Amino acid sequence: MRKLWVLILALALLGSARELVVYTYDSFVSWGPALAIKEKFEALFPGVTLTWVAVGDSSEMLSRLIAELRLGLPTADVFLGLADVELPRALAHNVFQPYDPARIPNLADVPSDLIFDPTGHVLPYDHGYVTFVYDSELLPEELVPQTLDDLLRPELKGKIIVTDPRTSSPGLSFLLWTIAHYGEGWLAFWQRLIPNLLTITKGWSEAYDLFLAGEAPIVLSYSTDTAYSYIEHGSLRYRVITPGGEAFRQVEGMGIVRTCRDLDLAHAFLNLVLSVEIQELMPTTQWMFPVNARARLPAGYEYAVIPERPVSLPPELVGEKLEGWLSQWQRLLIGG
Amino acid sequence: MAKASDRRLNWRRGAGLALAGLPLLFLALAFFLPLGNVLLLGLQEEGRWTLARVRAVLADPYVRHLFSFTALQAFLSTLLSFALGFPLGWFLTRYRFPGKSLARAFTLAPFVLPPITVALGFFLFFGHTGYLNNALRALLGLREPPLRILYSLWAVVLAHAFYNAPVFARFIHAAWSSLDPALEESCAVLGVPRFRAFLTVTLPLLLPAIFSAAALVFVLCFLSFAIPLSLGGARFATVEVAVYLYARVYLDFPRAAALGLAQLLVTLALAYFYVRGGALWRGPQARLRPPPTQRFPSRPVHLLWILWLLGSAVLFLGPIFSVFADSLSRPLGGKAPGLAWYRAIFSPEQSPFIGTSPLGSILLSLEIAGLSTLLALLLGLGVSGALRVLRSRALEALLMAPMAVSSVVLGFALLLAFRRPPLNFLPDKYALVLAHGLLFYPFVVRVVRPLWEGLAPAWVEAARTLGAGRLRTFLTVEAPLLSQALLVAGAFSLALSLGEMTAAAMLSQGELVTIPLAIYRFLSARRFGAASALASLLVLLTVAAVAVWEWLGERTLRAHGQA
Repeated sequence: MRKLWVLILALALLGSARELVVYTYDSFVSWGPALAIKEKFEALFPGVTLTWVAVGDSSEMLSRLIAELRLGLPTADVFLGLADVELPRALAHNVFQPYDPARIPNLADVPSDLIFDPTGHVLPYDHGYVTFVYDSELLPEELVPQTLDDLLRPELKGKIIVTDPRTSSPGLSFLLWTIAHYGEGWLAFWQRLIPNLLTITKGWSEAYDLFLAGEAPIVLSYSTDTAYSYIEHGSLRYRVITPGGEAFRQVEGMGIVRTCRDLDLAHAFLNLVLSVEIQELMPTTQWMFPVNARARLPAGYEYAVIPERPVSLPPELVGEKLEGWLSQWQRLLIGG
Repeated sequence: MAKASDRRLNWRRGAGLALAGLPLLFLALAFFLPLGNVLLLGLQEEGRWTLARVRAVLADPYVRHLFSFTALQAFLSTLLSFALGFPLGWFLTRYRFPGKSLARAFTLAPFVLPPITVALGFFLFFGHTGYLNNALRALLGLREPPLRILYSLWAVVLAHAFYNAPVFARFIHAAWSSLDPALEESCAVLGVPRFRAFLTVTLPLLLPAIFSAAALVFVLCFLSFAIPLSLGGARFATVEVAVYLYARVYLDFPRAAALGLAQLLVTLALAYFYVRGGALWRGPQARLRPPPTQRFPSRPVHLLWILWLLGSAVLFLGPIFSVFADSLSRPLGGKAPGLAWYRAIFSPEQSPFIGTSPLGSILLSLEIAGLSTLLALLLGLGVSGALRVLRSRALEALLMAPMAVSSVVLGFALLLAFRRPPLNFLPDKYALVLAHGLLFYPFVVRVVRPLWEGLAPAWVEAARTLGAGRLRTFLTVEAPLLSQALLVAGAFSLALSLGEMTAAAMLSQGELVTIPLAIYRFLSARRFGAASALASLLVLLTVAAVAVWEWLGERTLRAHGQA
């Protein structure tokens, strides 16, 4: 009987404690700044617990959130990790509520061209560029592609690894990049690219691991890769290419979930993620660029490339056309 | 007189039904109801019932192409798994050699590996710059890699065989070991040539086990997702990829459910076909004594076996040892490799990468595997018993649903079942134990059913005539005879639980990091060496867990004068 009372007391205490539950993708916790954010947040608000739930990639966590909202289950207060091109679909499912800019003072330091949601639901927290990386020990200098068209050279037969646009975010970025670059001609580009692809992997980890194993000298990855291998391993062997000065921009966003239980904490969280202190962690944890203009970049980031001509497509257009594009792409590669 | 015995039969049938009903009721509430709820989304449009969505999905020529390709690759994979698994089952049954129980435990190792690790092993071993090609190139003095296996349909089929040949080997080994050796001995006495005795006596008795294994393997390959994409490339997408696309990328759950439903109908129809096919053959006798084994190697003809074993070792051990080799050779921060990655994953500074300590992960996985195996065995026995009474093949096929359904759909069904009353009070860990029990009992049923069907009713009746109660008859007659099957089923369940990801990801609220989840986190953190080291540990752990399980089981059997 005493045990039962202790249990009830403990539950009551737990129930009264304030908690903020944030959903994100697993790598934000496993190598991202999640732990630093938690420490800082809990120091700012004694007695409050910040709980990260990160058991899957961004699309898994988003579809789990939507399912939980639909079923009326307890779920996250904040979602962090929405790709900009996912925005229209997330908005269509009524996932987020608008944030109040007045309660997020650090927003003043975020350049307006990074604020990709004009409806005021989702805020950016980092950005990066999807492009190609080559292995300077395996690829002769004269074969390094200078433009997207160079990827089609017959000498590169079976030498390029890309990821699947249906299952991986850099893969989707590359597909959209070719559409932005070639317009109607994008399918013809892919048709000619196919012989040069060694394989199209399910996710980025497999592609990059194959690349490190020396299976192919060119891989689709991120423009911070050289900075990564320089800072972590002191090596400049893997080098970033920006074909014709281009690379596809990815902005990642966060928003307050419709059923959020504590709007004060949620706004404080968004504000903290945008603070200079946390933003300066983005380059060496997320290997993405900070969105706060006052955040300084670390030594070694001179090897990280911001392309002269960042490529992007309006999220609304992507939301409207994506299904058709992916199905054309599938037909080209697979048939049916 | 006839009336009285009828009544007694009716009463027995009624009691049997009531007992059988319990596990079925539990399954219905905890699993089939939520699963139905998710799938029925595909049959509703604005509150009305309609087949329009299913029809629209199936009218897409791309989806049709996916169905035919998925079936083709699953068929080829099942065939190759059988071709590789059958001799292995034969070998394990007929011969004894030092280290046999360890070798047998090792056959389950491929089964636990997360697909991403298998893909990695295949890349490292069969890749153009992989160990095999490099060795052949050095040996033959070639410049180009001689073997171009990867990035083709054959890579997909080979990887599926790598996963599933052990299923055939295990099922056949279990069935063969339970055959009464007197049958073959009578053939020998009658002068029937050994080859003919095998074809006309042994093989027909093994058919139920073969059918059972084929049903499982086909369904597993039909639902495969990451292997075709990773090893074949995007050109080799399965139906599951389309389900994934609808649910995760387009966020169109009703359409995903409609396709998931069509996919489930195909897998269940196949399950039904196999269940029926398997039931056409009945094993007449369970063994009274173990089959005789030959010492290996002891005769010149065994040289053929040795050649074959070497070939199999290349396929099965190559990719696994490549992962081991990778974990030992990948440089870590300029330091000499060796055991550096193993030391690293157990040092506190790597813990943040996976959100817990690797040791914590390992203990958690073991605890969940152990508890869920016990649950799966209980459920599987209960369901097999229920099916003996009910004798409905349609129901038997339907009960395979936990393993015949798309993992994307499964994830949502688990969310529905375990995150809502009455099951949401369970702590994450026990929810996962329960989920694993529900997911893996079909394996137990598939292994136990053919053997239980094959038990001669005369034995049970003899025990009953001698005055034993139904329960006592089960415990003293049937259970010991089924023990071989239970050992195998338990080993599968252990291995499956150690490698499972979908349920772990759906039920976890952050704290629950099993070993495969930890491997994925290391990979996404570019800690490739750490991922290889942890995957190697997962293999060793599984082999150890299965070996200990079988050793304990056989010791118990011997104590009862069985094995």
